[in-house]
Amino acid sequence: MLLNRDTSGRRWRIRPDGPGKVTGELEYLTDLSLPNMLIGRVLRSPHPHAYIRSVDVSKALALPGVHAALTAKDVPGLNRFGIARPDYPVFCEDRVRFIGDAVAAVAAESDELAELALAAIEVDYEPLPVVDDPERAILGDSPLLYEEGNVFHRNGYKFGDIEAGFAAAAHIVEETYSTPRQMHTYMETEGGLFVPGEDGRLTAYSPTQHGFMDRMQLSRILAKPEEDIRVVSSPIGGSFGGKDELNVQPYGALLALATGRPVKLHNSRWESVRAGLKRHPMKITMKTGVDAYGRLVAHRAYVIADKGPYSTLGAEVLNFATEHVVGPYRFKAVDVDTVSAFTNNGMSGEFRGFGGNQAIFALEGQLDRLAALLGMDPWELRRRNLRRAEDPGPLGQPISVTGGAGQVWASLEGSALWRRRSEPPASAPSAPWLKRGIGAAYVMHAAGLGVGIPDPAGGRLQLRGDGKIEAFFGYEEFGQGLIASLMQMLIEMFGFAERDIVITIGDTDVVPDSGSTTASRATSMMWQSLRRLRGPFAGKLLEAASRALALPAETLAIGEDGIRGAKDGRLLLSYAALAGAAGQPIAAQTHFSYPTSPVDRVGAHYMYSYSAVAVEVEVNTLTGRVHVVDQYHAVAAGPVVNPQGYLGQIEGGSSMALGFALTEDAVMSGGHYLTKNLDTYLVPTIVEQNGAVTVDAIEELPEGDEHGPRGLGELGSVGLAPAIAEAVYQATGKRASKLPIDPALLQEPIRFN
Amino acid sequence: MIERAPISADPSAKLNINVNGREAVLDVPPSKRLLHVLREDLGLTGTKRSCEMGRCGACMVLVDGKAVNSCLAMAYQCEGKSVTTIEGLSEGGLTPVQQCFLEEGGYQCGYCTPGMVVSVTAMLANDPSPSDADIEEALSGNLCRCTGYGGIWRAVKKAIELKKEQTG
Ligand code: FES
Ligand code: FES
Repeated sequence: MLLNRDTSGRRWRIRPDGPGKVTGELEYLTDLSLPNMLIGRVLRSPHPHAYIRSVDVSKALALPGVHAALTAKDVPGLNRFGIARPDYPVFCEDRVRFIGDAVAAVAAESDELAELALAAIEVDYEPLPVVDDPERAILGDSPLLYEEGNVFHRNGYKFGDIEAGFAAAAHIVEETYSTPRQMHTYMETEGGLFVPGEDGRLTAYSPTQHGFMDRMQLSRILAKPEEDIRVVSSPIGGSFGGKDELNVQPYGALLALATGRPVKLHNSRWESVRAGLKRHPMKITMKTGVDAYGRLVAHRAYVIADKGPYSTLGAEVLNFATEHVVGPYRFKAVDVDTVSAFTNNGMSGEFRGFGGNQAIFALEGQLDRLAALLGMDPWELRRRNLRRAEDPGPLGQPISVTGGAGQVWASLEGSALWRRRSEPPASAPSAPWLKRGIGAAYVMHAAGLGVGIPDPAGGRLQLRGDGKIEAFFGYEEFGQGLIASLMQMLIEMFGFAERDIVITIGDTDVVPDSGSTTASRATSMMWQSLRRLRGPFAGKLLEAASRALALPAETLAIGEDGIRGAKDGRLLLSYAALAGAAGQPIAAQTHFSYPTSPVDRVGAHYMYSYSAVAVEVEVNTLTGRVHVVDQYHAVAAGPVVNPQGYLGQIEGGSSMALGFALTEDAVMSGGHYLTKNLDTYLVPTIVEQNGAVTVDAIEELPEGDEHGPRGLGELGSVGLAPAIAEAVYQATGKRASKLPIDPALLQEPIRFN
Repeated sequence: MIERAPISADPSAKLNINVNGREAVLDVPPSKRLLHVLREDLGLTGTKRSCEMGRCGACMVLVDGKAVNSCLAMAYQCEGKSVTTIEGLSEGGLTPVQQCFLEEGGYQCGYCTPGMVVSVTAMLANDPSPSDADIEEALSGNLCRCTGYGGIWRAVKKAIELKKEQTG
C-alpha cells in the first residue's frame, strides 16, 4: 500500500501530544524550573588524554553563590556508569581519556556564577600521547588507554571454504569503505531538573530511553536505594539512541543531594557535541567474489570501529555490524572479522541503525561493484542471491519467517522510479554540468536486543475511578509517536474512544518496567502487550459490567464511552459508572520478553524488517554537490500500526541517511572536535529535503504469524546512503567509498568545446 | 533584521519591551540574549534553545512582525520592540498554520516546531503564496532532525492552500 494521508483514511489521526507541540505549551524536561533552583555545570577535560595530578575546587567553593563543587571523592557509590559495562567515570580520578571526560561539577545561583566557578577550579594535568587512529591503536607500539590494551571487543563469523570460493570466482571486488562520526543532533540538548525531596527521595526529570535503567544506575552512583529515586523521562526533544546512556543525570543528582536544592542542567550545543555519543566511525574492508552466473561465492569482511574511550553499547554495536555485513545474501562462504578499538577520540555509542548503517553501506557497495563487473543489472544480482523466507539468519540462526525479503525486492523492481532508469530521460538536464543517476539498495535490519541480553517487555491497563482507561507503559516518547501509536492500538484493538483513554509513560514511580525504548522494539512490544491484555482486561470489564447490569457477559461488549449491547451497540453503562459499581480497581498486567532465536550466540537476532530503497540524484559537477531528487522506499515490517508515525519514521530516518551520505561528519583532529556546533556540522535542511519520498508499506505476514508489527524505527535510516552512492556512480561514473561523499571527488573541470 | 538601539551606558537601565501584547519593564543586563530573557525572566519556554548561534531556528520569534533568532538578539536591541512568541501566536486558539502542522504531521519530537511555526507564520504574512524556492529560503534556517521535512512540506502547502481559499 502506498502510504500517505489519503490512503490512510481515518487511520490518519492527530497525535495526542500534537496540540502541546504546535503551541509550544508542552513542557520539555529542560524547560522545567523551580524558584529556588541552582544551575549545575560540569568541568570537562581540555585534553584528550592526560593524567590528573591534582584537582582543587577550594577557590570555586569560596565564591559567594556557589553551593557545591564536587569531584570523584564526593561520589558516595560507584563512580562509574554504562548500560552494558559501567566503565565511564562520573568524575575522573587520576586520568582523562577524552575531551568529554568530567573532572568536577558545580552548582551555583546563576549560570554566569557557575561558569565562573568552573574557571576557578584548578586542575593539574600531565598530557599523555593521544591515540586517535583505531587502526594504529591496536598495533603493538601504540600508547595504551588501558593496561589490558586498546582492543575493546572482537567478534567474527565464518562458514564455508572461503579460499575455494575465491578460487571459483569469476570476479572479485576488494574495497575499503569508511563512514563518518555522525552526530545524533537531537534538537533538545541533554539536561534536566533534579529535585531532592523532603522525604529523602530524589526526582530526576531528565530524558532517557529507559527510565528504570537510569534509576538503577543512579542508585549505584548515589548509594541510594532504587525506591528512593524517581526518574521522569518523557517528553524528549529527540534522542535517536543518543540519550540512551546517562549523560547529565549523575551530576544533577549528586549536586541536588549535596546542596539540598533543585539543580538544573542543560547542555550547550558545544558541551553536547563534546560529551555526547556519536555513531561509531567504521572502516570496513571487503573482498567479495561472484561466479559468472552472479552467485556470491565468497565474502570476507574486516571491520574496525572507533570506540572512543569507554564501552557504552559498543560491543553490541560491533556484534550488530558483524551480523549485518553478511545481510540477506546466500553466500557460499563467509569470513568476517570485526574489532572495536579504544581511542582518545569522541565517545561512540548507540545510534539509530546500531552498526547496520555502516555494515550495509559497505555490503551494498560490494553488490553494486560486482554487478558492474558482471555487466548485470544490480537489482537482478541481488535477486539471484537473495535469501528465501525459510532461510536462517545471517549468523545461521533461526529467525522469524516472513516473505519480506522477496516482497520489498519486487516492490522496488516494479516502482516507477526504478523503471525510469532504463528509459531515456524525459528531458535533458537543465545545464550540461548537471548529471542524473538512479541507484538502489537493499536492507535487512534486525530489531530487539538479541540473544543473551535481558529484553523484558510488558504493560498494564486499568480502569480508573473516574472512568478513564489508563495504559501504563515504561516506554519513552522522544518524537517517534509512541503515545500516538499506543492510542491508536487501544482504539483499534479494544474499541475504546480516544476520550476514554489516558496514557501514562516515562515515570518510574508509576509505570511497569517495559524494557528499553530502543532497538526498534517499543511498538512491537506494545502491540504484543495489548494482544495479551485484550482477553483478560476485556473479560474483567465485562464480568464487572455483567454483575452491575445483571445481564449475561456474552450479551455485552466493550466500546466507545462504556459497555454496550453486543448486538445493538447501545450504550448500557459508562466506564465511570462501571468503575463506581465495581468498587475496586479493574486492572490487568502482562510481562514477557522480546522473542529471541534459539541459539547461544550472544546478540544474534530473531526479528527482522526489510526495505528496498531507490533514489534519483542530480550531481552538480561544478560544485560536486549531490541533490536527492526522488526516493522510493519499499518497507516490509508487518502491519502499519500508525500510518503517520510509520511514514514519519521512514521520511525522518532517510533524512538522517541523507546526511550520513552527503554532509554529516563530526570531524576530529588529535582527539579534538573541529566541528563544534551546527555551523560546521551540517544536518539536512528543507532545501536538501525538497524531493519526493514515496513509501510502499508491505503489511502482509505469513498466516499464523504471532509477532505482528516489526521494528521500524531504525530501518529507514539505513538504505538511502548506499543507494545514493550507487546513484552518484550512475550519474558520474565515480565510486564513493567514503562517506560523507567528498564534493571534490565529483567536481569536473569545465570544458568548452 | 533588528535595528540597533542606542546602547545605554547605565547598567541599571531597564528593558522596555512588549511581549505578546503586554508591556514589560525588565531588569536585565543589556547584553542578555532575548532567548534567555524569554525563557528565564518571562518563563516563556515555548521558545527553544538549541545551537545558540543562529543556525537552527528553534528560538525563532517575531520582532515587530519579522522572524528573528532570539539567541542572536541582545536585550538592548529589543528596547521598545514588540516581540511575539509561540505562546503569543497561540493565544486565540490554534492558528491555521498550527492546525496544518497538526493535521499533516509536521512534527515529531516537537522541539523545532514552535520555531518552525513562527517562521512559517512570518513567511505567509509576508507573502501568502510563496513558491517552493521561497519556502526553502524562508525555512532553511529552521532545522528539524526528526521529520525529514516531509510533514513540514505538507503542512506548509496546506496552509498556503487554506490562505488562498480564505482570501480567494
Ligand atoms: S538556538 Fe537560536 S538559532 Fe539555534
Ligand atoms: S520534530 Fe524533532 S526536531 Fe523537528
